[in-house]
Amino acid sequence: MVSDSITNAPIPSAPNSKDFSKKKRANRTAKLKQCKLDARREQWLSQVAVKSKGCKEEGNCAKKERDRSLENPRRRDEDNNDDGSIHHESDTESPSNSPTNSLLGGGGGSGGSDSGTNFIGSSSSGSSISGSSSGGCCSGSITEEEEEDDDWEAVADALAADDDNNKPEPEPENSYSQSPSESQLSMQSDSTPELTNGLGLDSANSMTETESARMVPRISGNNTQAWRPDDAYRPQSLPNLAKQRSFPATNRHFGHGGVPWSRNSVLGAPSSCPICYEDLDLTDSSFLPCLCGFRLCLFCHKRILEEDGRCPGCRKPYEHDQVESEASVQGGSLTFRLARSCSMIARS
Amino acid sequence: MQASRARLFKEYKEVQREKTADPDIQLVCDDSNIFKWTALIKGPSETPFEGGVFQLAFAVPEQYPLQPPQVRFLTKIFHPNVHFKTGEICLDILKNAWSPAWTLQSVCRAIIALMAHPEPDSPLNCDSAFSCLWTGNLLRSGDTRGYQSMARMYTRLAAMPKKG
Repeated sequence: MVSDSITNAPIPSAPNSKDFSKKKRANRTAKLKQCKLDARREQWLSQVAVKSKGCKEEGNCAKKERDRSLENPRRRDEDNNDDGSIHHESDTESPSNSPTNSLLGGGGGSGGSDSGTNFIGSSSSGSSISGSSSGGCCSGSITEEEEEDDDWEAVADALAADDDNNKPEPEPENSYSQSPSESQLSMQSDSTPELTNGLGLDSANSMTETESARMVPRISGNNTQAWRPDDAYRPQSLPNLAKQRSFPATNRHFGHGGVPWSRNSVLGAPSSCPICYEDLDLTDSSFLPCLCGFRLCLFCHKRILEEDGRCPGCRKPYEHDQVESEASVQGGSLTFRLARSCSMIARS
Repeated sequence: MQASRARLFKEYKEVQREKTADPDIQLVCDDSNIFKWTALIKGPSETPFEGGVFQLAFAVPEQYPLQPPQVRFLTKIFHPNVHFKTGEICLDILKNAWSPAWTLQSVCRAIIALMAHPEPDSPLNCDSAFSCLWTGNLLRSGDTRGYQSMARMYTRLAAMPKKG
């Protein structure tokens, strides 16, 4: 492919402009690569992060997602609309266009081969051949790209004007959530062009890396929202929130065993300490200070020992195993603190 | 301090969530002070207090829940375990039998139970034992009829909405 594009490409008339555009292109491919790598990294990170993030984030994500889905189709529609007008420009520019494209194709083919879906590289190199041979019948992808390269600000301006005309479709949301390259799900074939479109546009649009970095969490935020739990296209790697929520419930059941406190509806959630109402962590839930089976967190147990030292459940003094409980408090305090900090990290 | 505040806040949320769970108890937190609560409880049926609505005032100490809340009747009530003048309640769980596992809601339930089952013989520590002695003596001497009519009269006077 590389040799093809080089041989087919006409010798550029202006070497200066070629050099310039080459640099620009090289810059851009590097940035694109960076973007993709970032995106991939962020995707993995987000997959891990989603596990720890509960429903707290969902509000934010939903909002971002909505923003995103409002934003995307507009951009895309705009590009499609502008294709016609831009076409003439690219016709006239085709001699200068094709060499840069072929160079990009070469660069993309050799340098960017590591990125799994190098849509831009492959499409532009392919179309640059057609562009150079037939003399200016550029394919849509090229015009789009060029236009993105030069006129994206104008497009952004036009977006504001076109705001009301273009209603967001559900499609881009779907294609977007499938995000960069290696989502392991089986995509619909007709959603793939959407994906390339969206991805190409966005990575072309994000000229700076900060912008791309800002963009990537949105994609990952999308990931958490775009699928319903019963969705067939939901990737296996996504954590099952329902399953996670059921985990404390089993804990609750476990902590509840044999405690005659269930009649109090307020105390009916032994996954939390009945004294301070804080969640019981692993150390707490395995802590059984009294024979009556009344559970509480180590912190409250310590406070009670400092005061009257009676079990809140049976009102008998803890004294009968004073030494043992003291020891467990002493021994448990370290692990208790560790577990607390760990859980805080996991939560945030 | 912080622990009691956090606990009270969670109790408040619990109360909000289960507002309809216990129609006999209406527990309200003071707008500006989470350590001040008031409760409206309905007099239990088949007692002299039936049909009355009694107001309770909670003063929660900073050591709560290790220390019990101070509860007293704001509504006049004729009961052997309630101080007739101050409304102070002589109830073991509000004194030495307090457990941190109790909540304000469960204290209300205990008070309703106490209204239904007065304990004239329980070791009360009402200082001015006027009402304790009086109502207690009425009950101890087997004059349940006298006790009930007195209690009903005060319920009608103090705890029922005025007619007309």
